[in-house]
Amino acid sequence: MQYTLLITGSPYHSKACHTALRFIRAALNKSPDSIKGVFFYEDAVLIGNQVAQPPRDEINLTRAWQEIAEQNNIPLYLCIAAAVRRGIINEGESRRYELEQHTLAEHFQLEGLGTLVDLMNTTNKIIQFR
Amino acid sequence: MKHTLIHLNTSPYSSLACKEGLDLALVLATFEQPVDLCLSGAALALLSDAQQPTAEHGKNLHKLLAGLEFYDIENVYIEKNHSWLNSTTSWQGVTPLDSTEWQTMFSQYQQVFRF
Repeated sequence: MQYTLLITGSPYHSKACHTALRFIRAALNKSPDSIKGVFFYEDAVLIGNQVAQPPRDEINLTRAWQEIAEQNNIPLYLCIAAAVRRGIINEGESRRYELEQHTLAEHFQLEGLGTLVDLMNTTNKIIQFR
Repeated sequence: MKHTLIHLNTSPYSSLACKEGLDLALVLATFEQPVDLCLSGAALALLSDAQQPTAEHGKNLHKLLAGLEFYDIENVYIEKNHSWLNSTTSWQGVTPLDSTEWQTMFSQYQQVFRF
């Protein structure tokens, strides 16, 4: 069984990103190739903000996602429209909007909803965390 | 090809959830994926004709409803017996379901996403 995760809950107003991370760890523990990809939509895209600095005595959720993605080769997609409107900008979008900075954290990538549709059609099951 | 249900349950103007749920429905339809909508709770306000949202409220999402048929989104379900939904002042394209139909509807789709 291969899963795609759709995460829509804000990392600050919900535990969606936290719970999904725990789900991924459990799934990988059972089967190393069980996660096809993770798509962040709505306020969940805020997970990809590289300049957010959580207090040092709390979990750094963005870093936790980066580590699990890097260690297990899991693609982390942020909806580009949802991300850009919330200030999560990669270098390409930064140039397009003539900005001086970009804020997208490493290991995350901006993709359109078409990528989510593709994941839906190539994965056994898609699970939403909200 | 999976049949998807987008369930809108939040107010059209209290957050972006309703808009982003509708955006996903339109993208699915654009990619020729079968998709239906259902509305409950505060999202039912989307159906009311008398909407004049300001820029602060956000886009007039009610206007999107008329265009759904052009995306081949033909089924928009609500649960029957919402007395405050006046049939003369709300969008007519919905299919009301009784409680049993409403409950069984969710198991008829390969995937259900909630906004």
